[in-house]
Amino acid sequence: MAKPKNLIQASTAFERVVHWVLGGSCLFLFLTGFGLMFHSLSFISRVFPAVPLFSDLYPGGYSTMKLLHNLDGIVFGIAFLFALVAWGKDTLFFDEDDKKWFRVLGGYLWEVEKVPEAGKFNAGQKAFFMVLFLFWFVMLATGIFMWFPIFPPTLIRWLYPLHVLGVLVLGAFLVIHFYLGTYGNPGTFQVMGHGYVTKGWVKKHRPKWLRDVEASRRSI
Amino acid sequence: MEKVMLIDVSKCTACRACQIACKQWNQLPAELTRQRGTHQNPPDLTWSTYNLIRFTEIPTKDGGVRWLFRRDACLHCTDAGCKRACPVPGCIFRTEEGAVVIDQNLCIGCKMCVNACPFEVPRINPETNKAYKCHLCWNRISQGLIPACAKACAMGTITFGNKDVMIARAHARAKALGGDATVYGDKYVDGTHVIYVLPEKVRMYERMVANPSIPISLILWKDVLKPLSVLAIGATLVGTFFHYVIKGPKRPEEGGNDHG
Repeated sequence: MAKPKNLIQASTAFERVVHWVLGGSCLFLFLTGFGLMFHSLSFISRVFPAVPLFSDLYPGGYSTMKLLHNLDGIVFGIAFLFALVAWGKDTLFFDEDDKKWFRVLGGYLWEVEKVPEAGKFNAGQKAFFMVLFLFWFVMLATGIFMWFPIFPPTLIRWLYPLHVLGVLVLGAFLVIHFYLGTYGNPGTFQVMGHGYVTKGWVKKHRPKWLRDVEASRRSI
Repeated sequence: MEKVMLIDVSKCTACRACQIACKQWNQLPAELTRQRGTHQNPPDLTWSTYNLIRFTEIPTKDGGVRWLFRRDACLHCTDAGCKRACPVPGCIFRTEEGAVVIDQNLCIGCKMCVNACPFEVPRINPETNKAYKCHLCWNRISQGLIPACAKACAMGTITFGNKDVMIARAHARAKALGGDATVYGDKYVDGTHVIYVLPEKVRMYERMVANPSIPISLILWKDVLKPLSVLAIGATLVGTFFHYVIKGPKRPEEGGNDHG
């Protein structure tokens, strides 16, 4: 899109597409996973029709829902590799400001005179991405062997509690992520929307990044 | 009315009539196997062998061999791990007689029952991708018949009847046998609906689980982490809501607006 007046581009189209493929596949995994986890949510399974040509194996309902959960796991698994390309270099480290940021928790919980300056991502976002990295691995590793249990039951049975531990962590993650990306930080949604934000937003959330961009030390 | 199948191993001659009767009643195909130097055939339970006679050879002190036979199949737990683990409502169910049954029409081949069973009984048919196991001939016993294996057993090893009668009979028989003889099954997983009289110690028999119980991993999964995950999501929803209400959003100091 053409550059809007007075706005600053805060993300590349690549980042935004990766984010929504990752987020979309993640949400669909939650939807189908909850359908598989709770008998009381069996209505979710009813929307899934038979798989054409394979209706013997996947006659619809739970069978199709499980298949799509498994296949979507692959999408999520691969999408995160792109996420690593997009954000790994800006997230997988902590600097001195990040340590200070943690001491005041970014000013999110109590009044803080000056929140330590963040680059493209603040320390909380970095920590979130690291947790996501860890549980991406946990969900993928457990999920694959739940799908193809090539080891004895005494081993495989421990994958289920690990997979649900991932639901616990990623579920809480998602809610907080939604909040901080929308109502909690007005203006932030458009970083993942059309990609343009106000200068005021950038000064508030990415002061170090803004200086780097203005000095042409980095593009976005 | 709850029923129990009693397997008095001391009477078993390993004729395998029960194994054949099971195949016949359930119309299960035979499997091509190789001779492995034992009569135990096939080597293990499979999706089409719900009922298997296991042959255990025990060397004796005088240089001979003792042969232990055991009919292996689903034990039909009262508190069944497979049923707890199954994600599809009604796919694994328990009949009023106590049989634990997998409905293959509903099965989606997730293998959760396979990994939840303390006895490792359910098996997957890779072609249909569905789980199979003994169903205590629920389609016979609901009509007042006895299971096919019990019907075929000529030795009186497999008998079938009302729960309390069979349990009393098992204990009387174990007492009469004396020595190491025990009753196996009535005290585990809230009582199984297949119980054994074992003349030897439990660990002497191949693939006999000494103290079967619902796997800890299953309890951790279904009874701890699953409710905790709901709690965590609920708590963060409430938490973020009150964060907005109490602390409020973080707005840019200058030149910003709510929508960026």
